[in-house]
Amino acid sequence: MSGVGGELGTLVASLLEDEPWVGSLAGIDADPPRRRLQRTSFHRISPDDHDRIVETITQFNPHVLVHVGVWEPDARAAPRVAATLTDQAAVSIIGAAAECRALDSIIVRSGIEIYGRGPGSLTRPDEDAPLRPTSEWGRTVAEIERTAGHVAERVGVTVGAVRLASVLGPHVPSPLGRLLRQPVVPFNATSDPPFAVIERRDAARAIVAAARNQLSSPVNVVAPGAITCLHAIRRGRRIPLPLLGPQWWIARQVSHLTGAPIPDHIGEALTRGRLADNGRMRALLGMTPDISTTDVIDHLYRWPSVIRKQARVPAAEQVEPDQVSA
Amino acid sequence: MPSTSRTSPLARVVDFPARRANAAASDTASAFRRLTDEPAGHVDDWGRDAGMFRTVTTLSEIRWSVSTGGDQHLPARKGALIVVNARRFALAAVYSAFAISRAVNRPVRFVGRPDNGPLGALAQRLGGLLDHPDEVGGALRAGELVVCAAAATSRPREVGTIDHAIIGAAIHANVDVFPAATTSSPFGRRARIEIGRATRQRQRRRGPLAEVELADHIADDLTLLLSEMGDINTGTPLDWLPLSGLGGN
Repeated sequence: MSGVGGELGTLVASLLEDEPWVGSLAGIDADPPRRRLQRTSFHRISPDDHDRIVETITQFNPHVLVHVGVWEPDARAAPRVAATLTDQAAVSIIGAAAECRALDSIIVRSGIEIYGRGPGSLTRPDEDAPLRPTSEWGRTVAEIERTAGHVAERVGVTVGAVRLASVLGPHVPSPLGRLLRQPVVPFNATSDPPFAVIERRDAARAIVAAARNQLSSPVNVVAPGAITCLHAIRRGRRIPLPLLGPQWWIARQVSHLTGAPIPDHIGEALTRGRLADNGRMRALLGMTPDISTTDVIDHLYRWPSVIRKQARVPAAEQVEPDQVSA
Repeated sequence: MPSTSRTSPLARVVDFPARRANAAASDTASAFRRLTDEPAGHVDDWGRDAGMFRTVTTLSEIRWSVSTGGDQHLPARKGALIVVNARRFALAAVYSAFAISRAVNRPVRFVGRPDNGPLGALAQRLGGLLDHPDEVGGALRAGELVVCAAAATSRPREVGTIDHAIIGAAIHANVDVFPAATTSSPFGRRARIEIGRATRQRQRRRGPLAEVELADHIADDLTLLLSEMGDINTGTPLDWLPLSGLGGN
């Protein structure tokens, strides 16, 4: 499994560890996992270190490859760096897996940004809708799917793409979540279109279900319902800032300075909307999301900004400096 | 003898202002209840805002007073396509969707919202779908009721061309298609919608001929429904004019 160091990747790995069909599990990422994993052997490898990735994966010889190692623009890295890292990881990890004789199935993390929101695009595209990405992130996930498809065709394995809506959750680095939690949130004054999201645990369950069922087609993973930016702002009791056309450029610059950059796919969701048909989830994955879009947004505003933890040893029981010297 | 006096014609005339006041109060209360019984800030999977829909339908009652018949033919839960005839500038698909939604108490979408600008966004909040077979097919597969209009004409008894691609979406989604005749007046509030029984394919076809033939059958059924309904009358000499869009047939 790639991308095991991210919040979503760590969650997927911990759920995979509980699966009875998983014999052994190996994880690769540039960052260590966010929590303790019991059965996963972790390999800390940079995405550009092709030789080590190939060596590690061919030695492990996996049956199923779960590729979660993707960088959403402005989530953990700037858009250009994110695109480079994602491309390097996709090429080296999927390419290395193609060399493994035991490989049966490839599962890749993708996004509903792949459908694009150009003029005339469907309001709620299903998996058969044409792929016309109109954002950098959309083009990146389209390229991942294309790479995985080519490899799968060449070596004769199945490939499944889990097309996720924007993933939100505590500690999940998300530009949308960061923007909505700002004290003042911009929204499109003339349209304020609806968008959908997915909670991180539902997203992780979907990826695990895809691996379990050896998914061989794309599937949209979107929480039921939708919400508009203004509705979200009201629910979070933030200050709404209505914007028109060119004012968005200024808002992007100001928001970038205040620590919540608005990448083009998020700007597109706020001005053109972003929905997808999740009707095939039950048939293909055998599960549906537990949390609706509205509830995910409500949870987003309930997550504390700072988590204060009590000291493990009460202050009164700590050893005094004079006792140490004695 | 209060009961006898209450039912006598004279008593009914005397009670008339009170009954009108009660009816008006009841209408106002029900309108207010419709506006407030669902909290604001909810849009569904297709972007329809239930709160805004209620507000706009309540306002639309200023323009249209629609009576709906035949809604018992529609499925309670499954998706269905409803094809209505349209008079030019009458917004037949929009007021039909509003009226049928209130009659069957479930969301009803209409086909033909613009893709851009504030008008497109408003139409989406009210349940509008793009005029695209894939969009309509997706909604029908998701179990939605969808209203689409035939091409608008200037004569009320005429049924314009029905887009067979939209009918094809219904065939692929395996849902029933219902004809619904609409009459309205550009000068009056009264409008009527009569939903007929589902139009079936008379011959099994495996190719695209199925949707073309079904579109023709729906047009025939709509014409029949319209002739059964009769013309709408304004009670003015306008009804005599052949090109007024009101009568002259």
